[in-house]
Amino acid sequence: MAVIEVDDLVKTYDDRNAVDGVSFAVEQGEIFGIVGPNGAGKTTIVESIEGLRSPDGGTISVLGLEPIADRLELTQRVGAQLQESRLQDKVRVGEVLDTYASFYRNPADWHELMNRFGLEGRDRARYGDLSGGQKQRLSAALALVGSPEIALLDELTTGLDPAARRSTWETVEGIRDSGVTVVLVTHYMDEAERLCDRIMVVVEGRVVALETPANLIRKAGFEHTLRFYPSAPIADDVFGDLPGVTDIRRHGGQITITGTGDVVYSVVLALAQREVIAQDLQIEQASLEDAYLTLTGSREEVD
Amino acid sequence: MSAITKLTKMETRLFLREPISLFFGLIFPALLLYGLGSLFPGFTDPATELNGARFIDVYAPVAIGFGTAMLGLSSLPPTLATYRQFGILRRLRTTPLHPARLLGAQMIVQGSVAVISAVAVVIVAAVVFEVPLPQRPLWFALSFLLTALSMFATGLLIGSTTRTNQAAISIGMATWFPMLFFAGLWIPRAMMSGTLQKISDFTPLGAGTQAMSNAWFGSTPTAFELAVLVVYSVVVGFITVRAFRWE
Repeated sequence: MAVIEVDDLVKTYDDRNAVDGVSFAVEQGEIFGIVGPNGAGKTTIVESIEGLRSPDGGTISVLGLEPIADRLELTQRVGAQLQESRLQDKVRVGEVLDTYASFYRNPADWHELMNRFGLEGRDRARYGDLSGGQKQRLSAALALVGSPEIALLDELTTGLDPAARRSTWETVEGIRDSGVTVVLVTHYMDEAERLCDRIMVVVEGRVVALETPANLIRKAGFEHTLRFYPSAPIADDVFGDLPGVTDIRRHGGQITITGTGDVVYSVVLALAQREVIAQDLQIEQASLEDAYLTLTGSREEVD
Repeated sequence: MSAITKLTKMETRLFLREPISLFFGLIFPALLLYGLGSLFPGFTDPATELNGARFIDVYAPVAIGFGTAMLGLSSLPPTLATYRQFGILRRLRTTPLHPARLLGAQMIVQGSVAVISAVAVVIVAAVVFEVPLPQRPLWFALSFLLTALSMFATGLLIGSTTRTNQAAISIGMATWFPMLFFAGLWIPRAMMSGTLQKISDFTPLGAGTQAMSNAWFGSTPTAFELAVLVVYSVVVGFITVRAFRWE
């Protein structure tokens, strides 16, 4: 069952279509990722769903509600974590959660939320004294303090160190496990690959792909690479006839084989049949990042 | 507890956690009057320049005007600008609570502080310098309320049109000083030239302190003084509503 349905969304700024005919549906209970380069229109899409921006074209239905017209009801049932949003430095964690909880008709137990988000015992702490990860987790907790059915998280982990990002991922999985549908905007591909059930890639206001992470990689048609030192001499012909192999190179004693599809399996099998062991075997498989860079056409300008 | 009560409580606590605005907003006007009265010789004697009035009598309403202007022009604008800059108003827009409630809570907090600081000035004036209590209390209260309204409206306008905390502080200050000048903080109105007095009549703080002064010492504020305050507040309020941006 779709909880968010966006049909042909258009949003124009200064005669430029920031969002240009975007359509998608988010299913209940999934983590739906929106990825794309900066300025691709990700935040505009999410903010249109939140009712913060009025579309110039197309329709949006969230839990059967129209974001602008039904704002009051929508805000009761959809929690949002906004990009680059912060709180007053001197506000205490507990009082801000308690205050925000009072805005909703079915508030969550904010003490329990604090524990779930790794903020236990920090209710007297001031926002300005929290670490970056704690600030983001508080922000996510605020998005959930109204017991929403959908949580929209915009760049939740931007600016966090790797450890804080990983603990924040667990938080996001926890949100989904509690039955809340999550829409996650990110530009970290490892994050999208790890968390998202489906990923929508947006480039220049258009959807260029909407797939599971595995399908995105597969459809991008990437090659896999194996590197190893054979334990006994072996001829190139052995590999040349294998399905999927596209290239064989030797460098000193090391053999590098590239190919597509089931190339890894067939090479390892061929070696085993000849009782040759692949020493120091390294396998490089395409990641979502590779697929993403190809899809967004930004392979050359990786930062 | 209702959402607006909780929000107002939180905003109150936040205000109380700022020692500087607490000191300047709450007790500085009374302290200023006390300092002027006890440090300057002749401040509490009848003065010929003021047609026999005492400087302390003239400065008591100016101190109140000073306090409301400080809250309205130097405390409110950066608070609002920061709230917008931090995305706090935007975040509130994603909740069932309309962000206007946050502005309302701010008004309640800053308004209460303005009332307390005005009462402190009246008490210091009466207890230390034998200034009578306001003779026309209702007219005095009305004049005070309109003065505070005009200053808060100006502060809202500055706070809603500036993007950053720093810009809001600068513009607030740039507005505050001329307002204070025409209210008679540096030169009492009675000692201003005719032109300066005329200009002062048309400024909200000049009209406001005059109206408070009249009510304090037994006359009714003039219709002109009250009209300046009302017209100013309405016009500024209208522009604020038109210019206001949540983001």
